Amino acid sequence: MTSIHTDVQIGICGSAGDGTIAVGDILKRAMARAGYRVIAFDEYPAEIRGFGKCVARTRITTEQVYSMKPSTDVLVSLNDSHAIPHVQEVRDYGAVIYDSAPISLIEEGWHISGHLNPGQLPYSLAMREISEQATGANRSRNIVALGFVAGLYRLPRQAFIDAIAAKFQTKAAEVTESNVKAFSAGYDHGAQVYRFDKVEVGPPARRTRKQDSTMMTGNAAVVRGCLDAGIETFFGYPITPATSIMERLAVEMPKHGARLLQTEDEIAAISATIGAGFTGARTATATSGPGFALMSEMMGLGVMAEVPAVVFVSQRGGPSTGMPTKTEQSDLNVAVFGGHGDAKRIVLAPTNVEGCWRCAGRAFEMAEAYQTPVVVLLDLYLSNRYETVVFPKDNPFIADASKRAVLEKPDEPFRRFELTVDGVSPRAVPGEAGGIHTATGLEHNEFGRPNDLSDMHHQMTEKRHEKLNAALKHPGITIYKRFGDTGEVDVGLLAWGSSFGEALEAMLLARAEGIRCAAMKVVMLSPLPVKPIQRFLNDCKEVIVPELNYEGQFANLVSGAVGRSVIRLNRVTGKPMAVNEILDAIRSAAGKRKVRKSAA
Amino acid sequence: MHHVIIGNGIAGSHAAQVLRERNPDGKITIISAGALLFYNRYDLPDVFRGRCDWIDYLVHPPAYYKENKIKLRRKSLVTEVDTNKRTLTLAHREVMSYDQLLVATGGAAYVPERLLEFIPLMHNFNNFRVAMEMRDALPDGGTVVMLGGDALGLDLARTLVETKHRVVLVAGDRTFWPHEVNPETRPRYMQALEKMHFEVIDGKQVDRVEQKNGKGPARRVVFDDGSDLPADVVMPFYGLSPSIDFMSNAGIDIERGVLVNPQLQTTRDDIWAAGDVCQIWSPEHNAYRFFYGWKNVKMMGEVAARNMTGDDVAFTTALDEVLQIQPDGTITSPFWDYD
Ligand SMILES: Cc1cc2nc3c(=O)[nH]c(=O)nc-3n(C[C@H](O)[C@H](O)[C@H](O)COP(=O)(O)OP(=O)(O)OC[C@H]3O[C@@H](n4cnc5c(N)ncnc54)[C@H](O)[C@@H]3O)c2cc1C
Repeated sequence: MTSIHTDVQIGICGSAGDGTIAVGDILKRAMARAGYRVIAFDEYPAEIRGFGKCVARTRITTEQVYSMKPSTDVLVSLNDSHAIPHVQEVRDYGAVIYDSAPISLIEEGWHISGHLNPGQLPYSLAMREISEQATGANRSRNIVALGFVAGLYRLPRQAFIDAIAAKFQTKAAEVTESNVKAFSAGYDHGAQVYRFDKVEVGPPARRTRKQDSTMMTGNAAVVRGCLDAGIETFFGYPITPATSIMERLAVEMPKHGARLLQTEDEIAAISATIGAGFTGARTATATSGPGFALMSEMMGLGVMAEVPAVVFVSQRGGPSTGMPTKTEQSDLNVAVFGGHGDAKRIVLAPTNVEGCWRCAGRAFEMAEAYQTPVVVLLDLYLSNRYETVVFPKDNPFIADASKRAVLEKPDEPFRRFELTVDGVSPRAVPGEAGGIHTATGLEHNEFGRPNDLSDMHHQMTEKRHEKLNAALKHPGITIYKRFGDTGEVDVGLLAWGSSFGEALEAMLLARAEGIRCAAMKVVMLSPLPVKPIQRFLNDCKEVIVPELNYEGQFANLVSGAVGRSVIRLNRVTGKPMAVNEILDAIRSAAGKRKVRKSAA
Repeated sequence: MHHVIIGNGIAGSHAAQVLRERNPDGKITIISAGALLFYNRYDLPDVFRGRCDWIDYLVHPPAYYKENKIKLRRKSLVTEVDTNKRTLTLAHREVMSYDQLLVATGGAAYVPERLLEFIPLMHNFNNFRVAMEMRDALPDGGTVVMLGGDALGLDLARTLVETKHRVVLVAGDRTFWPHEVNPETRPRYMQALEKMHFEVIDGKQVDRVEQKNGKGPARRVVFDDGSDLPADVVMPFYGLSPSIDFMSNAGIDIERGVLVNPQLQTTRDDIWAAGDVCQIWSPEHNAYRFFYGWKNVKMMGEVAARNMTGDDVAFTTALDEVLQIQPDGTITSPFWDYD
């Protein structure tokens, strides 16, 4: 029997208050429980109150995928005026599900059924009425709609019931009971409907059975990475989209005897983090662009005093308060270069949820091994999106990566900043006999004493820069990777951060169209793996750099390093880059090659 | 000008096409209770020949509607027409306006009152979904009991026999509908049915249809004389009843169907009707009457569309309505033809 490769994206669109995100959450948890791979990403308004638009999208697959799909297979409308613009996302022979019995008369053109393309299939459902019949109230119309979707595609009923029970476990038992009733009523309706759409959900693949995989967001993966790496202290100040890192750590760290403190602002948070790093603790903070801007002075101190610390920065639309609930990749410059002086630091940018965990864990090792602040650059799309992740059985992170000083002569002054071959000095922490030293923001000599002689500044600056190159070979982390065709290709995609998933999907689609194509992800943005990038670019006739900022911050970084111009594909819509747009860019770059070839 | 057409059958769809040809800039909306684009229902017996994807029945690809700027509103049941305000209310409570309205809602299977309570136990064949459901309910070589035996049913029965199923026809006064068969010629036609390998039960009334559980056929047809007949599928074929419920308060003349003049205009200037839903004034018969069959219905769509765009043409039937007996003793109906 041939099994269907499932690859279905379900979008649920409603108004804040319709329970859109809640049912999206149940959907993805249920499907992950049932053993499918899941990637999910929600869009919601910045305002906590009000009636803004919410969209919960979930991609359910049996195979490994890397991003949300360019088009949706099933759209559920809980609010037509919000959902109407999203009808265009639904592919031909996909489904649009909507409420067939709104409360009041609707003006012409305001019902979603009037906006379907001829190729899309409509399903109407009296959500409110069914909810009332099943539960005595219309509150659960969102759950009815979810049940309908589950019944329509024969999704595993029990997994949903379990997910509903888990969702409402902190509420009174009746809440779960009534939602299960609403779900079941919707399910029964869905199961009775004759389906015309061409959306197929097969059984989950064996190897992704739930015991092997966990579904989590990028921020949750960061937290797991911190815990697996043995984080000891965390200092933070809440800011979207980084807040959930602190919230989760606040719950988890005390269980492991670790400490978390919410400080009065970001300056205090980074100061405390650097301070804790100085004492030898594994320590971190988490923030977003505006908070990181406030941290920049202390980042300089961290670099100068060679203090290990990890800073998670989840980007959002900027500058200033900007678009707090929208995604963007416009803090690359500030992460890599931000601040004063020659303050080179390590910057890692994971490309998926598993990468968030790995980068988090390795960031602590790197901070210790290279005695520097390490920035882990996320973005809202990555922080908030859910993916099913398979973690290795054994914790891979090294508990102590420090180059510890051997303090045999306690009476002699300690050369904390000794100039060594690899640039990394032996390190002692306060309280170690023979390790007494000064850590200062002033330029200093090997003992840490202030010293602004020209040679000293040059040597120390060189040390602080060159020691970081070893990070390019840090074990247990992939800092760049090439995918797709090997050897010479017509089009290469060079991408970073969350956009890499879309780039990879687009590359795979382009290859399926017969375009010779490859994609490289770059995880370490500083120091930049220049040589592998150079080799990759040499193989590519055209290079596209897709990223979510206006001018191409990564394109600038790469062009500056390798001296080659690239095709910039920049979007600042607040949304993830659309796979189709990258695919179009690949097609047009490949076409350009052909035209040039035939002209020649 | 907003031309609104209720009904996505051949009458409505063809009217839309002609309207577009004659009025390139007008707004055209087809409203349909169904979920699918216009497809050929006459081909539906092909589900027994393995043609089971609805896409294969489409008359136009999805792109046709965009190219021709024809808006198709599916899953949109019209529940009321307000002819004074020129608005329609849809079941999902949206109110739509029109400048000109064409009613082309066809008809639904007519079931005699005494059998209405058994509808849940009977299968229909008037759309793709129910055709597929009927097909799924019928095992290979299974038995279909056809009640009534109108011309639409006989068309399906031919395919069922060809695909090795057993057809039992419970004949009565609606057999051969809409052909009128007089008592003298009836025996010849009944013989022809047997020649076509239908088993015919004549002169008995169905008392009830029962559900049978367990192994074997799922239904039992019980006659008024107490005899019974096991069946996998029971289907009513007693002719059609026009779909006009939503017009009851519209203030236009209705008898069994919507009454129209030979130009297919109703008693209101801005409302026309075409297809199985309308009764057309026939000077020849000096009465309003129905005209069935693909060719007639298509012609009605054309006539209505032309007159809605300023022409003045009258409908005349395109068919000879006589039921033919072929040299091999079988019958053919002109209503079975379509292009
Ligand atoms: C399987 C089958 C085989 C047939 N074979 C034959 C045959 O061999 N010979 C023959 O003469 N006839 C046959 N017919 C009958 C044939 O359907 C009609 O003669 C012809 O197709 C009628 O076309 P129409 O456009 O008038 O209506 P229809 O094709 O019935 O279309 C009516 C449309 O109106 C829509 N509608 C109805 N009510 C509403 C409402 N309130 N709101 C919105 N939309 C509404 C429906 O959804 C549908 O789209 C057959 C019918 C079937 C089902």
